[in-house]
Amino acid sequence: MNVGVAHSEVNPNTRVMNSRGIWLAYVISVGVLHIVLLSIPFFSIPVVWTLTNVIHNLLMYLLLHTVKGTPFETPDQGKDRLLTHWEQIDYGTQCTSSRKFLSISPVVLYLLTSFYTKYDPVHFVINTASLLSVLLPKLPQFHGVRVFGINKY
Amino acid sequence: NPIVHNGGLYKRPFNEAFEETPMLVAVLTYVGYGVLTLFGYLRDFMRQWKIEKCQNATEREEQKDFVPLYQDFENFYNRNLYMRIRDSWNRPICSVPGAKVDMMERVSHDYNWTFTYTGRVIKDIINMGSYNYLGFAQKAGTCQEAAAKVLSQYGAGVCSTRQEMGNLDKHEELEKLVARFLGVESAMAYGMGFATNSMNIPALVGKGCLILSDELNHASLVLGARLSGATIRIFKHNNMQSLEKLLKDAIVHGQPRTRRPWKKILILVEGIYSMEGSIVRLPEVIALKKKYKSYLYLDEAHSIGALGPSGRGVVEYFGLSPEDVDVMMGTFTKSFGAAGGYIGGKKELIDYLRTYSHSAVYATSLSPPVVEQIITSMKCIMGEDGTTVGKARVQQLAENTRYFRRRLKEMGFIIYGNEDSPVVPLMLYMPAKIGAFGREMLKRNIGVVVVGFPATPIIESRARFCLSAAHTKEMLDTALKEINEVGDLLQLKYSRHRLVPLLDRPFDETTYEETED
Repeated sequence: MNVGVAHSEVNPNTRVMNSRGIWLAYVISVGVLHIVLLSIPFFSIPVVWTLTNVIHNLLMYLLLHTVKGTPFETPDQGKDRLLTHWEQIDYGTQCTSSRKFLSISPVVLYLLTSFYTKYDPVHFVINTASLLSVLLPKLPQFHGVRVFGINKY
Repeated sequence: NPIVHNGGLYKRPFNEAFEETPMLVAVLTYVGYGVLTLFGYLRDFMRQWKIEKCQNATEREEQKDFVPLYQDFENFYNRNLYMRIRDSWNRPICSVPGAKVDMMERVSHDYNWTFTYTGRVIKDIINMGSYNYLGFAQKAGTCQEAAAKVLSQYGAGVCSTRQEMGNLDKHEELEKLVARFLGVESAMAYGMGFATNSMNIPALVGKGCLILSDELNHASLVLGARLSGATIRIFKHNNMQSLEKLLKDAIVHGQPRTRRPWKKILILVEGIYSMEGSIVRLPEVIALKKKYKSYLYLDEAHSIGALGPSGRGVVEYFGLSPEDVDVMMGTFTKSFGAAGGYIGGKKELIDYLRTYSHSAVYATSLSPPVVEQIITSMKCIMGEDGTTVGKARVQQLAENTRYFRRRLKEMGFIIYGNEDSPVVPLMLYMPAKIGAFGREMLKRNIGVVVVGFPATPIIESRARFCLSAAHTKEMLDTALKEINEVGDLLQLKYSRHRLVPLLDRPFDETTYEETED
């Protein structure tokens, strides 16, 4: 049971994305990543923006759509053990405010990146592929779907 | 301080405050957890590739191809965060945990994976962690003498349940006394406080009933509610608008599919919530209960003996009548220095529980020396032992509470909870400060309880002080001086004295609950 715990929340992971200040922390960390990449001398601006976009999407895919379960034991007898963090947000309720925020932020980053890369074709292909890889798992139709059985258990 | 008077329901000002986390602190807390996670992954990587020795329990070589018993990732937090600050918990004590306690000193040479005892005993640590509200955790005194006499007369254990051979005359005496203490018709006592909740709620409600339980209810109430099979709906902590909305919806819409009326609606609240230090808004809950004709189950585990001018609990604190609360539950563990729990209420209810409660049928009854401790301490609080010691203790606790909270607020810490509750949570927020606070306070000879994620929400880690009537003003002053120093050292004084006015706190409509499949 939730012994020694101050609340009756079964899985605290579901509320992390709603906590105070986490959206701001997320935006700040994307900003810090961008500044770090900008300070590397031999990358041009389009390359930096594409790198920011790709690294952001890669990290988001890894943390939200690959890692499954919770880093601590929960009293729900493992119901969420096979769910990724995205699927755990708000106990699977779709289209809540955190989900909307996390879906819109890669799109915003993509728009900025397209502008700063001057719509170059090569950068376009890379950025669009990266955006799709992080937007598709967020669709409500993809809740709990594991394509080709990858990452099922 | 905003003072809440709700149309005359409250006879005294109700000052409760939960100052909001400063934004910078929240962002830094997330950064802290992020860094810890990164290092956690790094160390796991090193352990997997044998660069670092793995000190966790692992399966034997022969069993490597079997399906693993435990998932690695579920232990991530335990391995990488909890292990680093593990020395703040499970500290072995070697004296009675009264106002001062002796502790065995232990050191770790491999970063808390193993502990060795140096053999030295740290004496006279000021104990701010025990639920010793009225100071009855003593090893000498009238309670101890009476309990020793009963021990030699009745023995240590009963070895039977209440319904078989375990119903002693001591138990009957205790139950009459508890009923008199609370002002109810009848009461029943059980051997374990947790089991009182988890075994009796299933006896009271079942399938087809509705339980409305507070967000921050204790594990025993949650377990009892789940075991009963009733539908559970959770309302926001101490938020009467949320409770009223749930009640209205329940009565208007009835049961989920069939739309039949609910058989019973039971509201589960606690007197004092031990992690927040908040007191339930009992006058409003009772008004709502009467308006919507539901039942109220009040768990006074922390508030019995600790609130009210004569220690009768939260009902007396608000000046209400005990007849308004249908089921008054409490424990003897905190203020009475004993063990066990009780349920008080109307005679028909208690007679029903004597037959149908799982605790009465299957669990061993209270042990006789413990019963005598409860009887003696309760008589002391009521003043029936001929002295004014009980009344003095209750008053001392109230003075200590007010003084301690006022001084901490003046120093600039963020303190949660009601002005009158003896449970004082001091916010720490950042994960590193949890360990640092615990260790620094121990260096200065003060023992505190610290809690972090996932036991609390991710940005609300805290240190919890439990005040006691056994704390003298000098002890509190010493503790306050040390807390002040540690607060300056760790920069814990976050308060900007900008309290969120209770009436302005918006009621968030959104609740996401775990749906049962």
